[in-house]
Amino acid sequence: MSWINLHELLLAPTHDRLLCQQPELSLSQWQARTLRLAASLAECNSQRIALHCLDALNLASGLFAAWRVGAEVYLLSDVQPASLANLEGRADLCLGDHQQAPLTDIEQLIANAHEPLAGQALAAEQACLWVCTSGSSGQPKQIRKTLAQLAAEVQVLEQLWGAQLGSAQILGSVATQHLYGLLFRLLWPMAAGRCLHPLQLGYPEDVLAQVQRQPRSAWVASPALLKRLPEHLPWSAQRERLCSVFSSGGPLPASASAQVADWLGHAPLEIYGSSETGGIAWRQGGEYWQALPGVALSADESGALQVRSAFLPAGHCEVMADQVAFAPQGMRLLQRLDRIVKLEEKRIALPALEQRLEQHPWVAECRLGLIEAGRAHLGALVVLNTAGRHALRNGGRRALTDALRKHLHGHCENLALPRRWRLLEQLPVNAQGKLGQAQINALLLAERPRHAEVLNQHSSADGLHLQLRIPLDLAHFSGHFPATPVVPGVLLIDWAIDFGRQYLQLAGRFSGMEVIKFQRLLRPGDEPVMTLRFDAAKGKLHFAVRCADEPCASGRIRWESTDV
Amino acid sequence: MSQLEQEIKTLIIESLGLEDMTPSDIDSQAVLFGDGLGLDSVDALELGLAIQKRYGIKIDAESKDTREHFRNVASLAAFVSQHRSA
Repeated sequence: MSWINLHELLLAPTHDRLLCQQPELSLSQWQARTLRLAASLAECNSQRIALHCLDALNLASGLFAAWRVGAEVYLLSDVQPASLANLEGRADLCLGDHQQAPLTDIEQLIANAHEPLAGQALAAEQACLWVCTSGSSGQPKQIRKTLAQLAAEVQVLEQLWGAQLGSAQILGSVATQHLYGLLFRLLWPMAAGRCLHPLQLGYPEDVLAQVQRQPRSAWVASPALLKRLPEHLPWSAQRERLCSVFSSGGPLPASASAQVADWLGHAPLEIYGSSETGGIAWRQGGEYWQALPGVALSADESGALQVRSAFLPAGHCEVMADQVAFAPQGMRLLQRLDRIVKLEEKRIALPALEQRLEQHPWVAECRLGLIEAGRAHLGALVVLNTAGRHALRNGGRRALTDALRKHLHGHCENLALPRRWRLLEQLPVNAQGKLGQAQINALLLAERPRHAEVLNQHSSADGLHLQLRIPLDLAHFSGHFPATPVVPGVLLIDWAIDFGRQYLQLAGRFSGMEVIKFQRLLRPGDEPVMTLRFDAAKGKLHFAVRCADEPCASGRIRWESTDV
Repeated sequence: MSQLEQEIKTLIIESLGLEDMTPSDIDSQAVLFGDGLGLDSVDALELGLAIQKRYGIKIDAESKDTREHFRNVASLAAFVSQHRSA
């Protein structure tokens, strides 16, 4: 195994080597495909090429062929219609190896080439790619990476873990369309001469099947998988074969790390980094991070991490949205300082989704938050406008939230579609006039209301008048009825009893009811008045509900004194 | 709807935190991991774990049929009943 610098991967090798065992593909065979692709690209004269491949070695061909003809590469993070539309004007060719979107087929271009271009060294400072990530404002952000920066990072990885990996084959469960997968699953093994498995192994069962085929493997994994490894699979039996597990993209729970360590005899190697900065620090279990070689870390006055490294443009200092603390043992991550959340390692910019939701004709305002009960997902606090309230009253909550989810579809991955919805009259604000993320999350976690809201009260000769509001999100609406939310009559009686206890200090218990009438239905957002009068002589609570001057319900509740 | 299908639908709703859903909202023949329910690959992992735990069965590493079993509730029910009795 001899090292080949990334910028020299298109030069004819002195000793050929395998890049992949199944299907078998050698470096020289890959070069032949890549240089044929380069010839086709030269004919199209594309300067900016967008790439999305399922097969990592196809991606490598696209990448190096583009660099060979002096083109820049856009690494697409997904092929959602909105992402492709975003690309308008940025790329003059979209290249790929699958049918999930209208892409120009790499295989076709390779087949069409007349004569391959000659292999030559690439200009490491000029060859570049753009990786897409969600910016903190919610707008997608393009980050430029030069081949020299990628090469510097790959070299650091080899310096740290090359000896430990030896000739292990590299398996990956993360996409190579993102920086982590691109570096760990593709560019590093290509430079080091380790065989790689070109397809993303999405399930632990698939990974284990591959591990069992080779004497030694390393696994480029993610917390999403590592925290969901089925216990019944024979992990311990693979101790000798599975020599390293990498985890990046988000925090790995300590319990998941410990479980892997228990099975395999070594904890996963966690890498902390970002698309902007590349790798920053690493750890293997524990809570302290060590800077990668060549990375300088410091904190600004708010505690935000500042990064300088060879993987960034020279002289650039990247300020991260993570608050950190330094100790002699290393660096600790404290909290996020912005509104980007990580959902199973996918970076989701909440503002972008909120902007999209607020474009829906039913939505006045909304805020999103992360809910970590059970499987983590997003929740949405929504203030409906008049049209939205009509939609809720006439079609029910489920139809409304379905429509809002559909509206987001195509603008984010399915993973980010909110699962929990809370419909509010208005968004609360704190003393500073802001709505903090902690408050948003608390509102999302709250159960849906089971009572009418009491807006005000006054007494007259007729009794106590309570001005009520029927919550848009009343829990009972889901079943009564799914497509036509109306307040159940029995619930009005229940409220009358509760309000009687609360406002008229009635003790005792319900013992029956008389002349109950329901004349008009109450629906979400209605503001009825409930009048309560207690006839102490007869032990009867009279209640009447009126809305917009029409009677809705009335009756008498027999009250049994408990001290009899 | 068979008892087992009903049970699996409840398991899906509970383990994946699907709000406002009842078993009758899930069509036994509808594709689980397409656009229908909006489930994603992490849900597939979660559901795989939940099924294995609840019914004490193993999903084979190399079985090419795994994806077919998880196609819809009906195929999942068939898979579970076959392996439970085996």
